[in-house]
Amino acid sequence: MQHALRLDGVVKRFGTMTAVDGLSFTVAPGEVFGFLGGNGAGKTTSLRMVLDIIRPDAGEIAVLGKPPGREASGRLGFLPEERGLYRSMTALDTVVYFGRLKGMSAADARARGRTLLERFGLGANLKTGVDKLSKGMAQKVQLATAVVNAPELLILDEPFSGLDPVNQGLLEDEIVAAAKGGAAVVFSTHVMQHAERLCDRLLLLAKGRKRFEGTQDAARATLPARLDVVSRQSPAALDGVASATVTAMLDDGWSAWDVRLAPGRDPADLLQSCTERGMPLRRFEQHRPGLHDVFLHIVGPSEVQS
Amino acid sequence: MIERILIVAGREFRQIAATRSFWITLLILPLAFAMGPIASRFLDKSDTDRVMLIDRAGGGTAKAIADRLTLEEQRRVLTALSRYVESHHLEAADPAAPWASHDRWYGDAEVARFAADGGAKAAIARIARIKRGDTPAFDIPDPFYTIVPPPPAVATASPAAIGRTLEPLLRPAEGSKAKPLDYAVFIPADFGRSPAVRLWANGAPAPAFVATLQQLLGQDLRQRFLTANGVSPAVAVASTTIAPAIAVVVPPRGSGRERVLIRSILPLACAYILLMSLILSGSWMLQGSVEERGNKLIETVLACVSPNELMYGKLIGTVGIGLSMVATWAICGLVAAFATHGAIAEIIRPALEPVSSFGAIATILYFFTAGYILVAMIFLVIGSMSDSMRDAQGYLTPVLMVIMIPVTILVQAVLRGATGTAIEVLTWIPIYTPFAVLARLGSGMPLWQIWATGALTAAFIALEVVLLGRVFRATLLASGQRIGLKQVVGLMRRAD
Repeated sequence: MQHALRLDGVVKRFGTMTAVDGLSFTVAPGEVFGFLGGNGAGKTTSLRMVLDIIRPDAGEIAVLGKPPGREASGRLGFLPEERGLYRSMTALDTVVYFGRLKGMSAADARARGRTLLERFGLGANLKTGVDKLSKGMAQKVQLATAVVNAPELLILDEPFSGLDPVNQGLLEDEIVAAAKGGAAVVFSTHVMQHAERLCDRLLLLAKGRKRFEGTQDAARATLPARLDVVSRQSPAALDGVASATVTAMLDDGWSAWDVRLAPGRDPADLLQSCTERGMPLRRFEQHRPGLHDVFLHIVGPSEVQS
Repeated sequence: MIERILIVAGREFRQIAATRSFWITLLILPLAFAMGPIASRFLDKSDTDRVMLIDRAGGGTAKAIADRLTLEEQRRVLTALSRYVESHHLEAADPAAPWASHDRWYGDAEVARFAADGGAKAAIARIARIKRGDTPAFDIPDPFYTIVPPPPAVATASPAAIGRTLEPLLRPAEGSKAKPLDYAVFIPADFGRSPAVRLWANGAPAPAFVATLQQLLGQDLRQRFLTANGVSPAVAVASTTIAPAIAVVVPPRGSGRERVLIRSILPLACAYILLMSLILSGSWMLQGSVEERGNKLIETVLACVSPNELMYGKLIGTVGIGLSMVATWAICGLVAAFATHGAIAEIIRPALEPVSSFGAIATILYFFTAGYILVAMIFLVIGSMSDSMRDAQGYLTPVLMVIMIPVTILVQAVLRGATGTAIEVLTWIPIYTPFAVLARLGSGMPLWQIWATGALTAAFIALEVVLLGRVFRATLLASGQRIGLKQVVGLMRRAD
């Protein structure tokens, strides 16, 4: 299967500062790929290289099987972090303009732009000047310019920043719809909740270097498992348990325990061990760590705060 | 690539063309030209000077002065009419009339005969019988002088008080609607015995008026002197009318000294229009780039088009705007020429004749377009370096000054017929070359210089596109920092 996007050992330096350092990853068609990192991690620089806005100093990039360049712009969609529109153009003309720059015919771009804007609830504002649209409406127009050409690779740089809740939902729907339609979606964010809801796979980036690439489950697996257990006996001595702390004393000798497993140990093994020893349990519940915890664990608190 | 460049150019063009300021600028020049003559008719002071003659010596001298002024007016009208008849070959209207002969300075007798035959009005009526429909009408020139009678206060004032009584007439009170008097001539009662007369003028007197006055009063004094010395009055009068018969040979209209001026009209106008359209459209050229940077649009655009495509598209769009503006002005000029039944065409036709060859037209078009591209490229880079129009103005104003001041001086110098080293030097400084060549074309430039300056301009534009292109690309995404000249030079030297 051909990757929609492939980066191999990509390096970008600005003077003495290395913004991206040996970055490699792949994104498959139909996949939603999260590009996670704090401010200054190198997300925007990486995406600009993918779009051929800037050139890498080393490494190789393949966009839809070809080197980056405007030849592929007709198959790409891009929504940058810093977004703007031509204030004197109408909503529909704006979408048509970007559609045409992506190689669409004027008629196709107009038809598709009209459909998109109507779907986004701007049917009555097709001919309204951008300077007369509300901020939320303008955001919808910006989204329409990114997807007017039904891109095979949709690149979104911090797409949720500055969006109102309605438009956040709209964008999430568009991302899901694009992926279902077979498009590869790459979006950068430092807000983990969006990544948790949408990403099939994700990449954690810190100081220009890749710290993790894989599924959400694999990311969570990098954290030691944590369990809430209610039993009459202490689970501290069981195999694989790193620590067990009583959190509450209950009736009839039952106690609530906060159990932490050693890295790489499976909670299912602990459950089996309890059963084999005849250890009565009233509760055995695994904590599902958030991506925020995973990120904190992998890249360290300083990256999260930056 | 070409398609994307043209799409960018089209958007740029439409965006500027949709602004109110574009239409105001586009129409302001034709409107100014149209309104100029109308406004001057309402606002301007009449060119005719008001002359008051106060004669205390019997009235004969004042009448002689008035008659002489009238005669000189008629001579001027007759000369102009003769020139008009010669230009349009209308002598057949009355071959015996003085205006049908163009080979001499008209003597007093001929002028008097012209006036006695009904003057210009009667001549126009005769000419109308044979004049073709497309021949423009003859406009009788406004008289230089009109005689106004002295009011009673002046007429009866004592010689000592006459200056005071004239003062409010020469300089009416502020807010007064009375037309000021231009000249007052006081001939005292003892004129003849004494040569003294007094002249009050509303400003420095025109030498022509003083000369006429001096000539006429001199004749009077000489006549009196001769009579007093025993010459018969008839001989004395006859001596004052002796005048040489001057044969005049002038080159046909549009040749001689006029030739250089007429040949220069169109090229000079092109140089002026190039300068004017650049000044007027400079801010529009910046607008697109500034908006893309200021509105955080640039990244979205650059995801679709390369920086070079964006630069070329903007260049084509803005040059298109400038050329459309000039084309509109040219069309307005042609419409005006048509609407005025050839009056303007009379000026344009001789101006077009020397530049109607393919080579001349191609040269004008080449240098005009090259000049526009050359300066537009600078404006474009200023736009790419600016986050706001305020930022951009900081760069634009000095650049405009550097272009405008030498070019204005150059055009004025060429118009005056100057051909100094400075003009030669400016011709070879690429940023001024298109202006200098356009301005000099009419006065004659060696062919090798036209070719060489053309090549120089093309090479400079190519270099500009390479060097300023580097600045354009480097500064597109760099927001929030003011770039100085040193950094610009550094960016020019840095290969992509």
